[in-house]
Amino acid sequence: MNPFNGGWVIIATLIVAMVLAVFHLPETLPQWLGWLRPSWIVLVVFYWVMALPQRFGMISAWVTGLLVDVLHADPLGVNGFCLAALTFVTWSFYERLRMYSIAQQAGVVLLMVLGVELIRMTVQAVARDGGFTWAVVLPALTSTLIWPLVAAALASVRRHVQVE
Amino acid sequence: MRESGAGYLLLALGITSALLLTVDINSRLLDPVRSTLSSVVSPIYVVAETPYSLSRGLGQTFAARETLQAENEQLRRRVLELSQVSAQFVTMRDENARLRELLGSRRRLGSEVLVAELIGVIPTPNTLQVEIDKGSQDGAYVGQAVIDAEGIFGQVVEVGAYTSRVMLIADVAHAVPVEVNRNQFRSIAAGTGAFDALELEYVPITTDIVTGDVLVSSGLGGRFPRGYPVAVVTSVRVDPTLPYAQVRAKPLAALDRSRHVLLVFEIDDVSGDVEETQAEDAAADDSASTGETP
Repeated sequence: MNPFNGGWVIIATLIVAMVLAVFHLPETLPQWLGWLRPSWIVLVVFYWVMALPQRFGMISAWVTGLLVDVLHADPLGVNGFCLAALTFVTWSFYERLRMYSIAQQAGVVLLMVLGVELIRMTVQAVARDGGFTWAVVLPALTSTLIWPLVAAALASVRRHVQVE
Repeated sequence: MRESGAGYLLLALGITSALLLTVDINSRLLDPVRSTLSSVVSPIYVVAETPYSLSRGLGQTFAARETLQAENEQLRRRVLELSQVSAQFVTMRDENARLRELLGSRRRLGSEVLVAELIGVIPTPNTLQVEIDKGSQDGAYVGQAVIDAEGIFGQVVEVGAYTSRVMLIADVAHAVPVEVNRNQFRSIAAGTGAFDALELEYVPITTDIVTGDVLVSSGLGGRFPRGYPVAVVTSVRVDPTLPYAQVRAKPLAALDRSRHVLLVFEIDDVSGDVEETQAEDAAADDSASTGETP
């Protein structure tokens, strides 16, 4: 009835996250709005590791990260490492994180996205002539704000399809 | 599952990532891996672009008859104008070739173009890169010049089977060797990360360069074909305390609006080969400098 125990749902949500990650606003809007994009992929990975730690491991996270590297034109390996580390941290505390209220989880999301974005910016500064900018805080803030919605959406998907 | 095992796995993945990073930043060895992966993820760009392509498609389907007629009329007039210009151009090209022969220098290279369509924009805010719908199957290659109707647009930096990634000339990691059309003063136009600004590097304060000067590609460096418009100088600031003048220019190509761009294939329509001509050009200009960072 439910082939692969619903593993395809995890892949499908990741693909949706990737589409959202590259979707761009009309060119008429100012360029800086791009900084307000939440880190969709981080949110989705965080959710699945917390909800189903036995289904989504570090290696899956790393492979996802490789695809994200190409998608974002980052040097290969940055997002792989970030997502694997995120998976490790989440996996270590998943029981406690599940007990947290949604606001507390949002706080954890803030720290995680900030960490991921800082690593990405550092690597970009080394790889190409990019500089450091405070704008890096923005994706962390928008991710935090959107976390309750993402968590609710993914939870309802999980309940409907019975991913285990 | 035990803590320690997971910790070792993370360490291993971290080391692998660090190795990949080092290799990818410092060499082009991983290009085949990247292009394979980009063939895998390129449908994602297509999906993300659907709202825009759909709305354009619908707009075309349901456009009013009058609008279409007016547009048709306008295009017809434009074709007439352009064919007249191009007829003149053919005569002038031949004349130019004859004069160059008289001077004993080689003919300019000809070029062919392939129309490509934008299928996505790289989401990272401080990188100005886009995805186009032509890849190695269509003959695109890394380092290929990309232009639009107004001027130089960027260069191909990664090629997948059916898509490739183009770095715009305004990206911070990009630079084009240019010359001032008026007096052939050579410089390098570096990107600033903003769509509407390039910066000229190493311009001595005594240089004859003024607002409104048109910068064209100089062809040095061998990446971009010579003589395509690049930018118009918008401001020249001379600060006596600095060794160089600060010159800013606005790209002529519609970097943030062009949906269709042209991939340039340099062809040798007369004789001689590409390498030789470029070497000769470079030798003729004594201060040859390569400005592009791929």
